[in-house]
Amino acid sequence: MVVLGAAVVLFWPERPVPAAPTADASAAADGHKFVLRMAAPQSYLPGSLPQGVGQPLQGLARVVADFEARFPDTRVEIIAVPIEREFLVTQLSGGAAPDIVCVNVEDVWVDVQKHWYVPLDRYLEQPNPFVVAKGDPRAPGTRQWWDMFAYQAITRGKAAPDGRNYCISLDMVETGIFYNKTLFAAHGLRPPETWSEFLVLLQRAKELGLTPLLTNVDCLADWGADLVFDQFYRELLPGIDVKKDDPVRAAYLQGYLDPEELAFLQRQGFFTRRDPRYVEVWRKLGELRPYLTKDINNQDFVREFVTQQAAMIWNGSWFVYRLHADKQLGFDWGVFYLPPMFPADSPYASGLPMCVIGGVGNQLEVTNSALSDTDPALPFAERMARSERLQRVVALLQFICLPENTDRIVNEFEAFVPNIVGVPARPQLDPFVEILKRRYTTTKWTYSFDLRFTDILKRTLHLYLTGAITLDEFMRWQEGNIATASGNFVQRMNFDFAPLQQEWDRMAPVRAGFRDLPTPPPAR
Amino acid sequence: MKAPALTPARLRFAAGCHALLLPSVLLLLVFVYLPVTWAFVKSLYEFEVGSPARFVGLANYGEYLFSDPPTWPSVLTMFLLTAVGVAVRLTFPLVVAKLIHSLPFERTRYVYRLIFLIPIVVPGVAVQLLWARMIYADYGLINEFLRTIGLADWAHAWLNDPETALLALMCFGFPFAGGFEVLIYYAGLSAIPESVNEAAALEGCTGISKFLRIDVPLVLSQLKLILVLTVIGGLQGFEGILVLTQGGPGFETMVPGLWMYYNAFSFQRMGYACAIGVLLFVAILGLTLLNLRYFRSAEEVQGGSS
Repeated sequence: MVVLGAAVVLFWPERPVPAAPTADASAAADGHKFVLRMAAPQSYLPGSLPQGVGQPLQGLARVVADFEARFPDTRVEIIAVPIEREFLVTQLSGGAAPDIVCVNVEDVWVDVQKHWYVPLDRYLEQPNPFVVAKGDPRAPGTRQWWDMFAYQAITRGKAAPDGRNYCISLDMVETGIFYNKTLFAAHGLRPPETWSEFLVLLQRAKELGLTPLLTNVDCLADWGADLVFDQFYRELLPGIDVKKDDPVRAAYLQGYLDPEELAFLQRQGFFTRRDPRYVEVWRKLGELRPYLTKDINNQDFVREFVTQQAAMIWNGSWFVYRLHADKQLGFDWGVFYLPPMFPADSPYASGLPMCVIGGVGNQLEVTNSALSDTDPALPFAERMARSERLQRVVALLQFICLPENTDRIVNEFEAFVPNIVGVPARPQLDPFVEILKRRYTTTKWTYSFDLRFTDILKRTLHLYLTGAITLDEFMRWQEGNIATASGNFVQRMNFDFAPLQQEWDRMAPVRAGFRDLPTPPPAR
Repeated sequence: MKAPALTPARLRFAAGCHALLLPSVLLLLVFVYLPVTWAFVKSLYEFEVGSPARFVGLANYGEYLFSDPPTWPSVLTMFLLTAVGVAVRLTFPLVVAKLIHSLPFERTRYVYRLIFLIPIVVPGVAVQLLWARMIYADYGLINEFLRTIGLADWAHAWLNDPETALLALMCFGFPFAGGFEVLIYYAGLSAIPESVNEAAALEGCTGISKFLRIDVPLVLSQLKLILVLTVIGGLQGFEGILVLTQGGPGFETMVPGLWMYYNAFSFQRMGYACAIGVLLFVAILGLTLLNLRYFRSAEEVQGGSS
């Protein structure tokens, strides 16, 4: 019984015995006061070949070497870690994660209340000391670190639902449809201007014996769903955007539907089988079904595109480098963006250009490991204030943000658009720079709720796109999925809908002008 | 039979045995029984790593059994895969073992045993990855063979097509002559007394007739062992499915164990995952008890017939 009792204490999950702050053993061993660990994004990882071609990356290693030269008491280990959430959760809960990690910040949001990540606002609102040290009073960063970011609204728009920022990003990313220009010219094909033209183009490519469009279910559930959703719901925003953002965020997000708004709208009957627009989103995506590959779970379509077995591939800006660096590529290529839908394509189409669905690229977050030199029993804010290690971790991020450093890291190969003022983008990325000038998406479904929601969405979309289930069956799944996910979200955040309801009631006259809005579910 | 008298010497001996068993029992308690009990307790809570737990009673069980859509299709898939696993592991390796055992020269028998043993040392995950990337892949053996013989239209995304994924999973491991099972059956066949074989020969019972009437009943203990292990593995195992299909496409190859894993480590629904784990534990325990109760061993067969 004694052992049993001891084991109970040992395994008790809610109240882990706080570990006393310990000296950094490895630091003491090699004479450094701080040994910081940075989990580098794959696209910055020193020594790795980006996408398997070209020269090994060195940019980040050189910048870090300069940082170490500036702070001789600090050593920075750049490491590669698995990006799987399972890994991060166990590392973060044990306080053993790298000091800096790179994950999509939406995955961070669900865990911020656990104090696994450090909010960076107080540092972002202060001057960047490395800019100040240069002595140019007009240089961005002299007043606030924030000012150094070129895409202000996108960067600030990554604030968590608690209003705080947990990530910085040195670069931007966007998607596009890469096409075989040589093949298009040979067969008289051209990039489409409308959705209908796009379908005709896909059909022509199919008749040529090619795979018309390479993409996979992950892309369609994420990029595809958001783009088509925006086409049908953008014009409804004046009547359904029930939460007003702060001015800075709103400047770019322009009525973005946050998870709590989606949850509220779901309770009004939106995103169900009674919502014809929502059904239309998936029906339109289903129109792509005949033109996709047999294996829409494939994660690597590059081979088929570069060997000219496919006419088009939907990919991110990182693919530019893959094509540019391929010396044996036997064709010219171009990029176009998914064309808009007009009323001829769908009764709910707005005809507005397709929106931006990308945004910040590699997102760097500071974890609770940066506070390992403080007593875990102290309040989190006090730990942040006391931690010397955190100051050094933040200093590393501030140093990396200097234009000359970001240029060395981000522009080492042409994959991402730099997000630091004064750092030019590589010319090959111009199409993506143009796309990024568009308005941002109405919402990001796969990042709105939780991983269970996204998992079920992808699984059932796969079945729908392969014809294993009908649109109605898919909608049935999706309806339940959104209801469960939004319910969990509200419970997790302990959300009060009263203010949203007030705004909703106030907007009723605006909605009176809209047609085919869903009917609210019957009261229980 | 009368129990032997408890002399001081016997008591001392028994105390020594208890003392030697105690560390193992304690370790079992801590590392096996406690986690199982703990899982049951936590299944009554809604909690995720790093957050406070909230008592929800049997709600997790109710949700899993009555409102989580993947539940019953995944249970069906699990039983289907287990049934196929039982069928192939009770037949193919037994036939192989019998063929090896029937060879006239010990040296040849040794070589064959070795051939079937060596694959055991290859890690399971490596074998699964080989199948996923070399056999079932778009440019894998099957599709390339089909293209070579002019049947390119038959090429499939075997593991990603809802129509073929489950079948592909069932065919994983073909020709199903796993070294472990072959060795177990071979040992059982070797243990059959020579007198039995000679008597069968004198009675004219040879070939398939002898195999079915003499050999199979006398290796029932081995069949029972493989049956229990296969059922347990089929109900709780999911690593192969995780590597090959991740339970997809859709939920076509999802099994409860894998759904438990996703809920625990991807969705962070630890209490819910514990509930699935407890239900699996109960199912495995029940099936194992049924098996012990109704599936007779060779000794019982011999005892019953004598």
